[in-house]
Amino acid sequence: MSSTETVFLMQALTCTVLAVAGYLLSILVKRVLVAKISTWILAAVFAFLTANLVVAAVNWEGWDQIGSRHYLVFYAWAIAGIYLGFQLKTKTRVLGVFIAPLILLLLLAAVGLAPNRSLLPPEWRGGLTTVHLVLSVAGEVLFVLASAAGAMFLMQNHLIKNKTQGKMSRLLPSLGDLDRINFIGLAWGFVLLTTGIIIGSVYAVFVWEGPWASDPRVIWSFAVWVAYGFLLHQRLAIGWKGVRVAVLSVIIFVLLAVSAVVVRFCLPSLHSFI
Amino acid sequence: MIMIVLVGLNHKTAPLDVRERLFAGCQETTHLSGSLLSIDGVTEALYLSTCNRVEIVANVEEDSEARAALKDYLIRLGVLSSGDVGEFLYLHEGEEAIRHLFRVAASLDSLVMGEAQILGQVKDAYRQALAENATGVALNRLMHRAFRTAKRVRTETGIAANPVSVSFAAVELAKKIFGTLGGKKLLVIGAGEMAELACTHLAANGAEKITVANRSAAQAVALAEKFHGRAVGLGALDETLGDTDIVISSTGSPSYVITEQMVAGCLRKRKNRLLFLIDIAVPRDIDPACGKLGNVFLYNIDDLQSIVDENIKNRKREAIKAEAIVAEEVANYTDWLRELEAVPTIVSLRRKAEGIVDREMGKAAAWLGALTDGEREKVEALVNGIVNKILHGPVTAMKEESAQTRAQDIVAAARQLFKLDD
Repeated sequence: MSSTETVFLMQALTCTVLAVAGYLLSILVKRVLVAKISTWILAAVFAFLTANLVVAAVNWEGWDQIGSRHYLVFYAWAIAGIYLGFQLKTKTRVLGVFIAPLILLLLLAAVGLAPNRSLLPPEWRGGLTTVHLVLSVAGEVLFVLASAAGAMFLMQNHLIKNKTQGKMSRLLPSLGDLDRINFIGLAWGFVLLTTGIIIGSVYAVFVWEGPWASDPRVIWSFAVWVAYGFLLHQRLAIGWKGVRVAVLSVIIFVLLAVSAVVVRFCLPSLHSFI
Repeated sequence: MIMIVLVGLNHKTAPLDVRERLFAGCQETTHLSGSLLSIDGVTEALYLSTCNRVEIVANVEEDSEARAALKDYLIRLGVLSSGDVGEFLYLHEGEEAIRHLFRVAASLDSLVMGEAQILGQVKDAYRQALAENATGVALNRLMHRAFRTAKRVRTETGIAANPVSVSFAAVELAKKIFGTLGGKKLLVIGAGEMAELACTHLAANGAEKITVANRSAAQAVALAEKFHGRAVGLGALDETLGDTDIVISSTGSPSYVITEQMVAGCLRKRKNRLLFLIDIAVPRDIDPACGKLGNVFLYNIDDLQSIVDENIKNRKREAIKAEAIVAEEVANYTDWLRELEAVPTIVSLRRKAEGIVDREMGKAAAWLGALTDGEREKVEALVNGIVNKILHGPVTAMKEESAQTRAQDIVAAARQLFKLDD
């Protein structure tokens, strides 16, 4: 990672710390304005991460230089971008309370990791695997967003049910909006992750022909796909809405997040370059 | 000398019939602001007339009889008897008048504190006065300051933040649940006044497809027609419930009109869409157990009233902040007004000095003519420099003094010292 890249990354990290603080403050003082400002700070994070990735692309010196740090930055960049994209459609700034800390964790990990600690295996370098990675990551990010919306749905639902109308309830988005975000996240996440998994499998079976089906990361991805796919199915076919979907979204997220950490750090995986 | 006065009556001081008469008088009179200027001693004027208040704001000469004349004008306009005047009309002068106007514009003096309409009405009043050429420097600035105060109160305090009527509270809750009310289906059970009011607000916010269910078919049809909806009998509730987003119930029924079984039964048909039940009937129409079902939200009249009570309390708390903003703006305006009192004297002082310079330079024209252009410019700059230095002291003193207290004394002294009135 060149020095310019590092500068952009550090700026992004600083802004993320500010954004996290801002979002937490907005919950504390219960003012939407603070959340709005934090969203603008998050837009700056997105800009810095974009700059970081652009510089990385310009300084391209082959796959040897691409390490975990790049993938983590890419994850963070995708989360920030998709979240900000949602802001254009629905005014649900407070959702950042969940999203910003996630970005912070990813960036902290990116800064902490040595740039070339684990590299992409040479036989996997190419266009198809890149598409596979981009689509899978974007799909997983959308599922994260769906679960975050579910968590906020439960908070707002609790407040309205118990008739504790206060600043907190006014700060949170409406139940209808949150349920819609949950649906959009599930639907688009499912489409992208499905495509990503298919491309990855096709590549593994026909081009690489290596052992892939028993890889922990692959099994984890499949579990994600099945779990969120189940939720989407219940929404579309059975007509689940509201509380039940929200509860399950949160439970699935927690289980998968824990297993993701286990898969990443405790089990050997072909995908441990990420 | 500028003196702002405000004469009028409002919902706190006068009964409805008096306000009505005065309001009608205002409506019938054309060019009211302009005609106020014909009153002796009134130099600028505008009037504000709403269903809750009629007020005249004017800039009058301090020692004139204009105040009494303005009161008489209102009495004639409202065909009031002179006996009513003491009771209903109020007259504020100077700072009090300014404060009153700012409080009116900021909706601190309204029947429903924090309502948004009044600012628009004050703006209309000002526009009307502008069209009639009835305002000048003092009132123009006063009105702009009033708008600024209102805007600050609106943005810096939470005075207008939350609804203070039961039907608005219901609308706000519906928005909190559904996000937007556009296209939402509304079921009204019972054709009472409260239900109609809530229905009006929900429809104004986008709720469509209104169904009215009532024991008396005729009343149901009448209400349904009003909102371009349809009427059904109470027997069709089960079926209608499956296709509804918001229910408002206000029948006189002694037992529950909507039971838990009915709601639980329709959830599947509704595909778990969110359902908002508003029960404004006493005794209650909707089984409280319905509120425990998932994706169903039940609020009764007490729940809504407690939201309203809480909001009213909040507004009162916010009003304290608003009063501080008003006080600050009143102080700003009065400072400006005082400075304005010194302005004519400062202008005539400068004119007098310029006249002296011109005359003396004229007398010296003979020898000045012998100088080169460059030398003449230097002499002129020197003379002007000396004059400005001499005037600087008195001018600043007048400005500073007038910003702190009334400028009368120092202005009078300056006029006497420099013989400005000769």
